[in-house]
Amino acid sequence: MVDTQKFARNMPEQPGDNALQPGAVLQGRYRITGVIGVGGMGSVYQARDLRFPNVVRHVAVKEMLNLTTDQAMREMTLKTFERESDMLASLNHPAVPEIYDYFPSKTRAYLVMEYINGRDLEQIINSTQDMLPVEMVLQWAVEICDVLGYLHQQEPEPIIFRDVKPSNIMIDQHDRIRLVDFGIAKIFQAGQKGTMIGTEGYSAPEQYRGEASPASDVYGVGATIHHILTRRDPRLEPPFTFAERPIREANSNVSPDLDAVIMRALSFKPDDRYPNASAMRDALQKLQKPQVVVGMPFVSADTVSDETVAEWSEEGIQPVWTFACEDEIRSSPVVHKGVLYVGAQDNNLYAINISDGSFRWKYPTDQGIVSSPAVAEDENLVLYGSLDHSLYAVDMRTGQLSWSVATKGPVQSSPTVMHGHVFFGSDDGNLYAIRLATGRIQWVWEGGDPIRTRPLVTGELIVVGQESGYVAGIDLSGQVVWRFKAKRGVSSSPTAHEGLVFFGSMDWHVYALDITRGWKAWALRTNKPIVSSPVYGDDRIYIGSVDGSLYAIEAASGKERWHFETEGQITSSPVFVEGAVYFGGVDKQVYCLDAKTGQLRWSYKTKGKITSSPAVHDGIVYIGSMDHQVYALKA
Amino acid sequence: MDFLRRVLGLPDNSSVPSEKEDGIIITHEDTAPSAPPEPVVEVPVQSKAGVEVEAVQVVAPDTPLVPPDEKNDLAELGTRPLPPLETVIPKPGERLQFGQLSDVGMQRGNNQDAMMGIVATSTSNDDVPDFGLFVVADGMGGHQEGERASSITVRIVTQYVLNQILTSMLRLEMNDPDQPSISDTLRAAVQEANDAVTEAIPEGGTTVTAAVIVGDLAYIAHVGDSRAYLITDEGIEQVTRDHTLVQRLIELDQLTPEEVPDHPQRNVLYRAIGQSDSLDVDAITRRLHPRSRLLLCSDGLWNMVSEDVILGTVSQHSDPQTACNTLVQMANDRGGPDNITVILVYVPG
Repeated sequence: MVDTQKFARNMPEQPGDNALQPGAVLQGRYRITGVIGVGGMGSVYQARDLRFPNVVRHVAVKEMLNLTTDQAMREMTLKTFERESDMLASLNHPAVPEIYDYFPSKTRAYLVMEYINGRDLEQIINSTQDMLPVEMVLQWAVEICDVLGYLHQQEPEPIIFRDVKPSNIMIDQHDRIRLVDFGIAKIFQAGQKGTMIGTEGYSAPEQYRGEASPASDVYGVGATIHHILTRRDPRLEPPFTFAERPIREANSNVSPDLDAVIMRALSFKPDDRYPNASAMRDALQKLQKPQVVVGMPFVSADTVSDETVAEWSEEGIQPVWTFACEDEIRSSPVVHKGVLYVGAQDNNLYAINISDGSFRWKYPTDQGIVSSPAVAEDENLVLYGSLDHSLYAVDMRTGQLSWSVATKGPVQSSPTVMHGHVFFGSDDGNLYAIRLATGRIQWVWEGGDPIRTRPLVTGELIVVGQESGYVAGIDLSGQVVWRFKAKRGVSSSPTAHEGLVFFGSMDWHVYALDITRGWKAWALRTNKPIVSSPVYGDDRIYIGSVDGSLYAIEAASGKERWHFETEGQITSSPVFVEGAVYFGGVDKQVYCLDAKTGQLRWSYKTKGKITSSPAVHDGIVYIGSMDHQVYALKA
Repeated sequence: MDFLRRVLGLPDNSSVPSEKEDGIIITHEDTAPSAPPEPVVEVPVQSKAGVEVEAVQVVAPDTPLVPPDEKNDLAELGTRPLPPLETVIPKPGERLQFGQLSDVGMQRGNNQDAMMGIVATSTSNDDVPDFGLFVVADGMGGHQEGERASSITVRIVTQYVLNQILTSMLRLEMNDPDQPSISDTLRAAVQEANDAVTEAIPEGGTTVTAAVIVGDLAYIAHVGDSRAYLITDEGIEQVTRDHTLVQRLIELDQLTPEEVPDHPQRNVLYRAIGQSDSLDVDAITRRLHPRSRLLLCSDGLWNMVSEDVILGTVSQHSDPQTACNTLVQMANDRGGPDNITVILVYVPG
């Protein structure tokens, strides 16, 4: 367990060096019998009150070293100490220890109080392995809020405890909550210098500005209960990151309602929390009453907030238009100059006017089309592969065939147009480079096993994935520069950014490789194979997995930022446009997520599974579904 | 050097040509010479600020490296001679260059920072990319524990990276599917340092910022408030994120950067080496564009010298060592309240 201040660079005088020894008597009345705890600013002793010679009456003596060297400051510190002691002595609540006495000496001050026989919550957490019963924790939370609420109601000014944390809360021998350490030690802690490691972990953000209100104590209760229920120590985590450690993910025994109360208490802004501990106690007590749960569906709080409900109600989204093909659509549409091109299992490539979804032309092949078309603007060509083994180049204006290239296997790879050529792979294991102007084969790279990814083409290199798991970097003359092998096939099309190439694999991983060498920069494991292709946007990679989640991953570090769970596999590849991520799911839905947070903006349910990837153009999302239709939806 | 010589398959010291060439440059500054001996890569140790250059010739294309005498013999026998030296020695500025300096500052009695700089460049048919390893660690804790924590960290990270990355590069195993990713290796190196510090120095801790350069990619692992900056034609960018309380408060809009110098807890780290068994290590990959500069430094520099001044200084100096010296001098001129460590890497272009 980390001591929050163990690394002070310039430690003050070691308090242990002049600690009181057992047998020492203070004020002729309190004989020290042992040490309860040693802190940076002084020790807490167990002592026997000698005024009661015939009974053993234990007291706790808290010693505070007055280390300030400045005379005026020392006196002020002592005054504050006396004032706080007076305040404590005037309190009357079963959870507040009784104060018997206080007295200052030259370099220190003493507070004599009730000795509590029990253990603090930190000791309890550390001495147990399993999750503590939620009902018991809830009862503790209610009692903590009750005593804090009592402090908050003091007149003329509410008393702020300021330091709610497990080690300041004890469970006595009667299993009741007792609040200890009223932050008096803090008065003596000014003037620490040097780098220290470890934060308090339980304090509210505003307390670091020196502001404390009843709502700050509410935050401390939330932090303490969060720690107990998740068993994740906030002092070992970045400050204020409780929301990144969802309680119910760590502890499924916790109800969504209790989770909601704790998370409200942990809001960054004081105004968003319960205004004081009594209000939080009331909310917690409601959860203690026996509840009728039958027939009461819970709405999961993490995916649906009030605002989003309104936005994604299904009446809100109506297609701008739909276009029906004669069979399933697995190919992804491409939009160019007011026309949408998409292939269908009915063997046709369709050209559709995006203004109204009206039919323009179609070009038939001999088998289905799963490859997504590419556009060669200068040549006025739309290019796509067919399961009939050929790549077709069709004139966009007329819908007439310009040329085609036959391969020895189905063409599932989508073509890439670059450098006056079209590049595509085939199930015959070859990567083809074809001159756009003539349809002539420039070169063929023999990869040995099926290539189904869309080739990534940069200024120097072509990167393709293969069904064997190989990913190859090939120079523009068709010579292999490097090869990387994933454990399973790679049908996810690579994308590149700043020297890294990203793709997913059937071996469940998302990979980032050094694009010039094929060396692994990072890898992130999802929970199922990956077919979806990654997209880059705002320093992140977005990719879907068959495990049903869409992942947002930091491109530079490979760290997951968020994932969004759908109700089926995701094989569709996401599209990133202006801070939003669009994709389709096997659960038939088209999704739009906030790219930064992963919050759902809207979803739209089609009548079929979606494996096609969307095209987003001028505020409209175009996507094909297995229900044979192409949908145009407002982005 | 023995380790490197072994993995490079080089002959021992006596037979290495005496000319100093751009080959493998290793310098190491360790401010705690009293640290207990541990099995480490043996590198020249210097206790004072400065750079020591050790050079080893690297295998030339298709040509086995042979001792000079033998080479002459073979040449007489008509064997293909070594290629002209120009093909082995790069022109100035075409290879990774770096400078480094660690200074105690003006107010402290000891230097708790530690650093390491290694560059390995080669020319060969195997096309092994340029490799660099740079580490800055800023220790904290009384009774020399800070010095020990930073020293151990620098040594262990270096050992781990050389063993796992440079060795794999030289064995041409980097494409092996079972090879851990470079980011994961670097994270593991820092974890290993964390384990060692946690065990050996219970009361000490340290930051660490470690950068591995492979070709034009920089892999950076980071814990604490030392920093890595990337300096390009477009300006200066802080690549690492401080693991400090005040940085978190800024991110939550609870504090403005202007308020930081007066904040009573501006020196509080929430993450450091030696804090606990489990450690979350930031790992960042960045492309190094031609002519960009990578700067690693302890807070002794960035607390005293603003980003704009760092940018201006680095832009003015074509020699990285002179730039390092100037930056350290600037921090000292402004009071030098803390130890100052700077490593500056110039990318060719």
